[in-house]
Amino acid sequence: MARRPDDEYDYLFKVVLIGDSGVGKSNLLSRFTRNEFCLESKSTIGVEFATRTLEVEGRTIKAQIWDTAGQERYRAITSAYYRGALGALLVYDVTKPTTFENVSRWLKELRDHADANIVIMLIGNKTDLKHLRAVATEDAQSYAEKEGLSFIETSALEATNVEKAFHTILAEIYRIISKKSLSSGEPAPASVKEGKTITVGGPEPTKKACCTS
Amino acid sequence: MIKGKLKLPPLNNRIRKVFPDRLGSLVSGFEGIIKGVRIRGSVWEVEMGEELEPIPPNAVGFGRERDADDVYIEEDVVDTRVRIGPNKDAAAATPVLVLKSIVEEEKRSDFEYELSQREINLEKLQRIASTGIPDGGSLRATTWKLLLGYLPSSHELWEKELKASRQKYANLKEELLQNPSAYTWKKDIESSSALQQEDSDADGRLTRQEISQEDHPLSLGKANLWQKYFQLTEMVEQIDRDLLRTHPDIPFFSGESSFSRKNREAMKNILLLFAKLNPAIRYVQGMNEILATIYYVFSTDTDKENAANAEADSFFCFVRILSDSVDHFCQQLDNSSGGILSTLSRLSDLLKVHDRELWHHLEFTTKVKPQYYGFRWITLLLTQEFDFQSIFRIWDTLLSNPFGVQDMLLRICCAMLLCVKAKLLSGDFVANLKLLQHYPEDINIEYLLQVAQDISPDTSFYCLSL
Repeated sequence: MARRPDDEYDYLFKVVLIGDSGVGKSNLLSRFTRNEFCLESKSTIGVEFATRTLEVEGRTIKAQIWDTAGQERYRAITSAYYRGALGALLVYDVTKPTTFENVSRWLKELRDHADANIVIMLIGNKTDLKHLRAVATEDAQSYAEKEGLSFIETSALEATNVEKAFHTILAEIYRIISKKSLSSGEPAPASVKEGKTITVGGPEPTKKACCTS
Repeated sequence: MIKGKLKLPPLNNRIRKVFPDRLGSLVSGFEGIIKGVRIRGSVWEVEMGEELEPIPPNAVGFGRERDADDVYIEEDVVDTRVRIGPNKDAAAATPVLVLKSIVEEEKRSDFEYELSQREINLEKLQRIASTGIPDGGSLRATTWKLLLGYLPSSHELWEKELKASRQKYANLKEELLQNPSAYTWKKDIESSSALQQEDSDADGRLTRQEISQEDHPLSLGKANLWQKYFQLTEMVEQIDRDLLRTHPDIPFFSGESSFSRKNREAMKNILLLFAKLNPAIRYVQGMNEILATIYYVFSTDTDKENAANAEADSFFCFVRILSDSVDHFCQQLDNSSGGILSTLSRLSDLLKVHDRELWHHLEFTTKVKPQYYGFRWITLLLTQEFDFQSIFRIWDTLLSNPFGVQDMLLRICCAMLLCVKAKLLSGDFVANLKLLQHYPEDINIEYLLQVAQDISPDTSFYCLSL
């Protein structure tokens, strides 16, 4: 496949954004990929797709992010997009307890449809609405620990922790993959612990990284 | 393009209508309430083996003699005319605008002529409307109502039918859109006053009606009115959220003005009512976008009475539009023949037939499957892909297709791919996906629709879908 010179990267990581409708998934995506925020963006139907290339731990990572619709009806359709995803950002709204309560349903969704080794990060979004907060940080923190997820609170509106959230999950994915590459001694970028090659539906990652590990 | 006389394949008797037959299943279980809501006849009733007149791509089929070229304005055609026109020394833009406005005016008078007939010729109306309905006045609203079969073709029945439908809507609202306390309260009042009349000798104390155990707000029984009410609350929140996000750039829908609040409130009523009448489908995100298109057109009708009744009219037309595509909203039917996955594979087949190279490049070389982009195009009838004005123009063509909305929708979707073929062929997975999820705004809509018209109608789907 033809690749433009400015499109070079060491790794291609597919990450999905999931969570209830209206928690701010699309704005997290637009803040991360275009540094934009829209107070009343259209609801996402099906999936939307965006990419951003960034440096993580000295490597050039191309993040391919799939933003999914939140409503129950669309889950059957969007679950197909979990295939090949190395990371999932599970978003809830800190001002809406039901969106936090539904996190367990989303986890089940991931267990049913995504790779078992998918890296999951729990995100409490909309921290700018301080006076409306209804989910305590500690509650989410302890839930995340119990479920083995990383956790962060963000505000897509104020651009708080958005960069950090994506950076953290990409770094975590990178660590797992590079560990795998080291232990197997084989060139296996963008692969999971079993060494199964992940098809991301896009261009294959370059092999550059393998030689350096 | 339909070449020559198009003879429909022999159709079974069950295959008669494009739109309204699904309505029966849409509203089943509510016969008592909405009796009479069902559509009595179809605008697109096609007799077996009936020959339709060919529709040349540029023809408007107006009742009067007309040079077909007059209507279809391609920029280059206009430029030529400008050069040979009397104002050839003037700046090119002015005569183009003048010519366009002359064409628009002629088209408008043709519409007015057709719509003033005692018996509307729907085939003719379809042909005119497919080239675009002029903005302003009542033309688009009235034509859409006719094309959807909401208004009967007989002009003299309009007033009566509209009055009946609007009354029906008011009754439905009263019956279904009040909360349980209002419902029981009303029941109480009715029975109390009945009792009072019977017991007129009593000392004036009203007999208190017992609330049944199952209707107590704290009862957890499934049949509990309040339980249903709480489930409803969740849906109402979803609808509210989506209505706030419907065309956020248009003051008609967005912001906190009393005007936009009123519009959102009306659309909320419609969506709630639809959900209540169709418990198997309920409200699905995206319905708001489809409704917004209809509601805006009906609300901005310059006929004051029609505009005032936009909510009722929009409700019935919304149901009609969904009648042949409602399965796309239903998760249980995703894999059925009317479900979204099957429709997406039909889009893929259509592209394969018309441009094998592009089809191969999309599906195999870059692996951009139709579900990545076509899902939203099809489910929302293209309402999130274009600006509002272009959506109206596209819908003129969608609603006036003799083979139904879904047939034309797939042809337009296929045309959308063909129109950006060069870019797609040079793009990789990421570039193509981004291009199709954010379709270029500068596309010439008339050209796009022309490409769609040139794609043959899928008569096999027409048979299958009914």
